[in-house]
Amino acid sequence: MKKLAEVLRDWEAVIGLEVHTELTTLETKMFCNCRLSHDDDPNANVCPICLGMPGALPVPNEKAIESIVMAGIATNCEVMRHSMFYRKHYFYPDMAKNFQTTQGPVAFVMHGHLDLEVSGQGAKERPDSTVEKAQDGSYVASIRILRIHMEEDAAKMNHVGGAEGRIGGASESLIDYNRCGTPLIELVTEPDLRTPEEARLFMEKLRQTFLTLGISDCSLESGSMRCDGNISLRRRGETRFGTKTEMKNINSLKSLHDALEYEICRQAEVLEEGGIVYQETRHWEPSRRRTVVMRVKETADDYRMYPDPDLAPFDLSDEFVERCRARVPELPDAKRDRYVATWGLRRSDATQLAGDPAVARFFEDAADVTGAKVVPTLANVMVNLVPSFKALTVAQVASISSLLAADAITFAQAREVLEVVDGTEGDPERVVDERGMRQSTDTDALGAIVDEVLGRCTAQVQQYRDGNRKVLGFLVGQCMKASKGSGNPKMFNQLLAQRLEA
Amino acid sequence: MANLDTLSARQVAAGIAAGDFSATEVARAALDAISARDGQTQAFLQVSEELALSAAAATDAARAAGQALAPLAGVPVAFKDNMNLLGTRTTCASRMLEPYESAYTATCVQRMLDAGVTPLGKLNMDEFAFGSTTDSSAFHPTNNPWDVARVPGGSSGGSAAAVAAGEVTIALGSDTGGSIRQPASLCGVVGMKPTYGAVSRYGVVAFGSSLDQVGPMGRRVEDVALAMNALTAGGHDRFDSTSQNCDQDYLAHLDDSIEGRRVGVIPALLQAEGLTPEVRAAMRQAADGLAAAGAVIVEVDLPNMANSIAAYYVLAPCEAFSNLARFDGVRYGYQEPGCATLAEQSSLSRAHGFGAEAKRRQMLGAYLLSSGIYERYYLAAQKVRTLITADYQRAFGQVDVILMPASPTVAWEHGAISDPAALYLADVFTISNNIAGNCGISVPVCLGADSGLPIGAQLQGPAFADAQLLTFARALERSCGMEGSVAPAFAGKGGELR
Repeated sequence: MKKLAEVLRDWEAVIGLEVHTELTTLETKMFCNCRLSHDDDPNANVCPICLGMPGALPVPNEKAIESIVMAGIATNCEVMRHSMFYRKHYFYPDMAKNFQTTQGPVAFVMHGHLDLEVSGQGAKERPDSTVEKAQDGSYVASIRILRIHMEEDAAKMNHVGGAEGRIGGASESLIDYNRCGTPLIELVTEPDLRTPEEARLFMEKLRQTFLTLGISDCSLESGSMRCDGNISLRRRGETRFGTKTEMKNINSLKSLHDALEYEICRQAEVLEEGGIVYQETRHWEPSRRRTVVMRVKETADDYRMYPDPDLAPFDLSDEFVERCRARVPELPDAKRDRYVATWGLRRSDATQLAGDPAVARFFEDAADVTGAKVVPTLANVMVNLVPSFKALTVAQVASISSLLAADAITFAQAREVLEVVDGTEGDPERVVDERGMRQSTDTDALGAIVDEVLGRCTAQVQQYRDGNRKVLGFLVGQCMKASKGSGNPKMFNQLLAQRLEA
Repeated sequence: MANLDTLSARQVAAGIAAGDFSATEVARAALDAISARDGQTQAFLQVSEELALSAAAATDAARAAGQALAPLAGVPVAFKDNMNLLGTRTTCASRMLEPYESAYTATCVQRMLDAGVTPLGKLNMDEFAFGSTTDSSAFHPTNNPWDVARVPGGSSGGSAAAVAAGEVTIALGSDTGGSIRQPASLCGVVGMKPTYGAVSRYGVVAFGSSLDQVGPMGRRVEDVALAMNALTAGGHDRFDSTSQNCDQDYLAHLDDSIEGRRVGVIPALLQAEGLTPEVRAAMRQAADGLAAAGAVIVEVDLPNMANSIAAYYVLAPCEAFSNLARFDGVRYGYQEPGCATLAEQSSLSRAHGFGAEAKRRQMLGAYLLSSGIYERYYLAAQKVRTLITADYQRAFGQVDVILMPASPTVAWEHGAISDPAALYLADVFTISNNIAGNCGISVPVCLGADSGLPIGAQLQGPAFADAQLLTFARALERSCGMEGSVAPAFAGKGGELR
């Protein structure tokens, strides 16, 4: 198969995503009072309503509707004041009523967008001719969102005794209804994505947004956030869509990217060999890095959708919508801009810190401790050091950042100190003192060492004066050695340069 | 001592409160009446003797402890078998649910229990409430107490027959297109379909969710009003998001005068095809009776009523298809043994669990909801629904209630009408009321001059004017003299209070 870059020169990939998110942070299910928890024993959290017992009726969970309206506001959607629940019929035991309660043509929120900043290596996936790029190759892609609608999740089925947990060949199928009736929001994008990287970034941004809203734990791994990718190819310049395939079993951002990359290349090969892309659902196999056919859609399913007569139509009031709006916290983009404006952080660092609400909260708590001057160093520590540790405290990270900002230790020493205190309440300053790491910034003491080094390294001094500036690094190293690591390398650098230039 | 046949619900409760007889004695008398009469009527599917005696014992214990008794304390009541009651099976008269043990108690049943009633069991019906004869019950037909060769009407035929034969004082029925009012008319009892939303549907096995409404049946308007008090006590049911707060005292205005109030009649309706002369005469008698009580009779029109059957037989099957989809033999109910695959199990369980009419309606619904068809029929039917509702609003601007038959004929013999479409057409007077979500009631007027069988007159009122409807029903009852009648062949058979 050809490589992605090569394929995308000739072909345009048209990608749309369908993202299902379980509202895991709610206490109860969508239409009954059962506890939301999938960890309990099978069928522990069930009642006549979510089991579809005769005569049971649904009552909507108002908190779930608040959550979806917040999700819509955070993704620039229009809140539809009037919408309804519909029944979508299909016979399968994972749906206790043999219909799923979902929404019809009008969803709670519709017509939004998310803007993606695509930069670095990922930006190269998109041929320059198709988009306006900045000098560094980055560009902004605005991805329209068709709708986000509310529905209920199905039960989990466990097919026992067959191959690969599939129903075909299984000797029995066990059904766990704990998940049945879990509030689920489904976001559908317009087919505006053009590269696997854009799709990956969209999912990442959506995940960060929902995490910031606190409406879900957004775990692709455990399936509380699930993403299906629809993809078709067309020749550059063509305006009609090609036949699409649907990608399932995507349980990480990397899988999303890789599955789409594979599928783009596969479809290109099929088309270039004169073949036909069939409308089908394909399963991503991460271990073998390929997609395989799950089922072919020969006819459109007829779900016999009609308005659910058990649930009155919704007319969302101004008060309700404003209450939801007030509950939307500062979103990652706004947070990033504030970090740049307030502390002069690098945009890429600010983006990274603002993305995950837990990281952002940690960072801001530490910033409160260190004070503004140290924050750029703190940001550097957060981005480059903290992720490699298990359990650092705000106080530890603030302390190490302050030590670095004061040039009291080196970056390498900071890592060493954090290794000692990680997972404990240990104080970094104490470790620094105990280990005699604190670097001297005493100009006289360091000056004496510099003079000593310059005195014995006459050859290198001559090389420097002849124009070989690289030799400065060697001289700094000699000074560090002579100070047994206690001298500040930046100071040595300055003092050496002063004397050599004199 | 008295016979339960002659006591109103209020008299039963008062007699227990006064110590004239105990709730246990009442329960035993009711069980005695059932065992003496139900062999002929076959109104019951299950008699819940244990539940009845333990509820009665609780009532007696409460009285002994000096507690104030609930308004329907000790009153013998039974429930249509589409209502869940813990400790009973809820079968909907279908093989599909024959083994199904209620997992919980329906709100309407619970509210009756809270009002102190003694629950005597579950009553026969057309399978899943699809029908107007009760002949489509999977277990056995029910016989009309006025002539056991005839149908009691349906689908709440067991409820109507049990009340008419004096087996219980009050029964609950459900009405999707006339299933309370039509059997009430055919069995000579009072049957009320309250406004949609007035009574919670939670726990009542759904047929047509936007049309279904639970209501009481009794031998007196007063008994029905007392039951309405119980059914609406507590107001909105948080388990039914379509339920409304209709909690009020339905007895308070029962005996108000209707002097100068306006009763609508629709002359064209009395010319309807199939309407028998004796029913027409009964309607005239009812109008005269109301006029004699001071009401003004006014001609009104519901121009779109003729389309109500067509709209109903689109909307109701669509909802029925959807509501009955859950019966697949996986979790509960009838499960075909020995199936190799899921698809086989589901389809054979459904093929053998459902009767012919249940299959017919589900297939009709599945067809009508399919893409391309839905737009032509379902959406058109919803528009007709809007027109019918608007017709009623116009009419109720002119009158307080509208008088019409509940059924074009008196009860017919079992098997006399076998064409389903002919049966559907007999619903012409009741269906539009469900479509509009209004309230309606059938009150016995007389015995037909030709047949000697009971004929009811239906009064329909605007949504949420249920109390006013009962005032008119009481006035009609007073003018007709049928109050409290037990079918003659059954009166006095068992049911004696010692």
